[in-house]
Amino acid sequence: MTSNRGPIRESVTTIGRDGERRFLHPAIVVGAWWRARRLVAWLLIAFFALLPWVDVGGFPAVFLDVEHRRFHLLGATLGLGDVWLLFFVITGWCFLIYATTALLGRIWCGWTCPQTVYLEHVFRVVDRLFEGDHVSRAKLDAAAWSRPAKFLRRGGRALAYLILCWVVAHIFLAYFISIPGLYPMITAAPQAHPAAFVAMAVATGLLFFNFWWFREQLCLILCPYGRLQSALIDDDSVIVGYDEKRGEPRGKAAPGITAGDCVDCRRCVQVCPTGIDIRQGLQMECVACTSCVDACDDVMTKLKRPTGLVRYASLRELAGGRTRFLRPRTILYSALLTVGLIVATVSLLRVQPAGFKLSRPPQTELYVVSADSVANVFRAKIQNKDDVPRRFFVEAEASPTKLSVLNQSAGLVIAPQAEVTLPLTLLVDRRDYRGEFNFTLRLRSDDGKVSVLQKAHFIGPAPSTLAR
Amino acid sequence: MKKDADQPVIMPHAYDGIQEYDQSLPNWWLCTLFASIAFAFGYWAYWFHSGVGSDDRVALDAELAALEARQLAAVKDLDEATLWKMSRNPSTVAEGQAVYASLCFSCHGPTMAGIKGVGFRLNDDLWVHGNTGMAVFRNINEGVVFDGKPTGMASQKALGTGRIAAVTAYLLSFQKEGQMKAIERTKEPSQLTP
Repeated sequence: MTSNRGPIRESVTTIGRDGERRFLHPAIVVGAWWRARRLVAWLLIAFFALLPWVDVGGFPAVFLDVEHRRFHLLGATLGLGDVWLLFFVITGWCFLIYATTALLGRIWCGWTCPQTVYLEHVFRVVDRLFEGDHVSRAKLDAAAWSRPAKFLRRGGRALAYLILCWVVAHIFLAYFISIPGLYPMITAAPQAHPAAFVAMAVATGLLFFNFWWFREQLCLILCPYGRLQSALIDDDSVIVGYDEKRGEPRGKAAPGITAGDCVDCRRCVQVCPTGIDIRQGLQMECVACTSCVDACDDVMTKLKRPTGLVRYASLRELAGGRTRFLRPRTILYSALLTVGLIVATVSLLRVQPAGFKLSRPPQTELYVVSADSVANVFRAKIQNKDDVPRRFFVEAEASPTKLSVLNQSAGLVIAPQAEVTLPLTLLVDRRDYRGEFNFTLRLRSDDGKVSVLQKAHFIGPAPSTLAR
Repeated sequence: MKKDADQPVIMPHAYDGIQEYDQSLPNWWLCTLFASIAFAFGYWAYWFHSGVGSDDRVALDAELAALEARQLAAVKDLDEATLWKMSRNPSTVAEGQAVYASLCFSCHGPTMAGIKGVGFRLNDDLWVHGNTGMAVFRNINEGVVFDGKPTGMASQKALGTGRIAAVTAYLLSFQKEGQMKAIERTKEPSQLTP
């Protein structure tokens, strides 16, 4: 089924006519872009691996404590009640990606996506180490399993993959369990922490499957961002493109035959990790990894021709025009990104280290009228989200009628990360009572770090029935 | 067009001039479809026909019933003598005092002197809703209904039997066994004073 003519636009190279998977063996080309990408990849991997070790304010910088439903982010502690902030994180992330995509194409995919970072800069290195370059890898693929060389090389590679996936799974788990939580689990027997062990084993298995077998299929078929490209990219987005005007017609110039700069060496096809021919134009499969740029520049340098036959350029630039960076969509995405950033920052800064919720206790009278006063009983849920104990007070804040909160003068000390349910009795003097009203209660702490407002409604009889 | 092994087959039909390639789905993609069909059969058999997996509602009911049974057993073991014995045990009384200070004080006052119009005085020997330790326990556990209507004293079951018993013991620690006096509660809210 494989053809000598190579990739075509109409079909996905890695999927055969009958739906079978075709494995690619892309060559590695070392060039300026490759060096820059590898540096970025190493920095990202180091960042990912080291972040769980960094402590901010007594907790890991990023610790998504699912077990206790608390999320520690750079010293701030968020509870489940703060999950609404996630909206701004996700939309902010989306608009950041939209804006960069409109400007620079799939720069995320080629440079920073974990799939690319680990596949290109970790697992393909292992491939090369155990099975050699792209030619010997393809040969090994075709060889029979009865040959010990294949068994040893592929087995060794699988073992290396397994160890690497196992390490990555542990680092991943550290974000949810924290290093101090993870270490005793690693040293203990698996049955002591079955849930964590299963999570680790499943993560290892998924990673192994992904990097061993699935690879570029994730980018081509599963990744939603990849499928959105056609809507996000326009003629002015900077993509990895082939300069057709300069390159065509391909081939060797000879007397009587004019030829462009492309010598049709097919090096760009050889190095492509998703199996396309970049000279066929912008394609869905392209993750803008710049391998073909390095490959072509290398060839052009050897031929003493100017580099950049394949380069970062917009479709408009490749057609002879000039890239416009200021366009309605880049302005709109950036504006929405800015709005999201501002809202996210403001709301993150306003997250209180305490929670305060009011409800009415079930099966009780809505109000009690006595000789002097009208009383309402509320149930207050006060949560100390911080890591230090704090003394809390509840006070009447905005109320049209003079309202007193009983027995709150001494305040209430709540332990770190603890929640207390407390009945609150609110009294209005009968002489002041003018019917039902809305009021606001403030929860504050003695150190002034907490100030949460809650609105509520005071229920009582019609004032006329209280007339003496 | 030249016939080529790699050129995809074009379907014979055309709608509005639009033609369609006859491309295969990736096999792994088809596998996810078949796997989910297989999973559905297993799921259906497990939850509805094997008798192993039970309904969420059944599981919830069973768990609630077990919880209630535990609570009932704990309450059944309680009797007047036990409550009075607990009321003379310093650590139980201290536990009860902590519960009082976090909950009861808001209506009955920090010194148990009561709050006019809200909660009865608890530090004298006059008792409106029953003058035994068990009556006090029941009032906290189940709440007080007066004249057919719920009162401000709601059920505090959420505390759990142990802590309700402890706070009862705390209240009893100010009383002498057999010397709690019963008095009538009147209907008038204005007389609902400590």
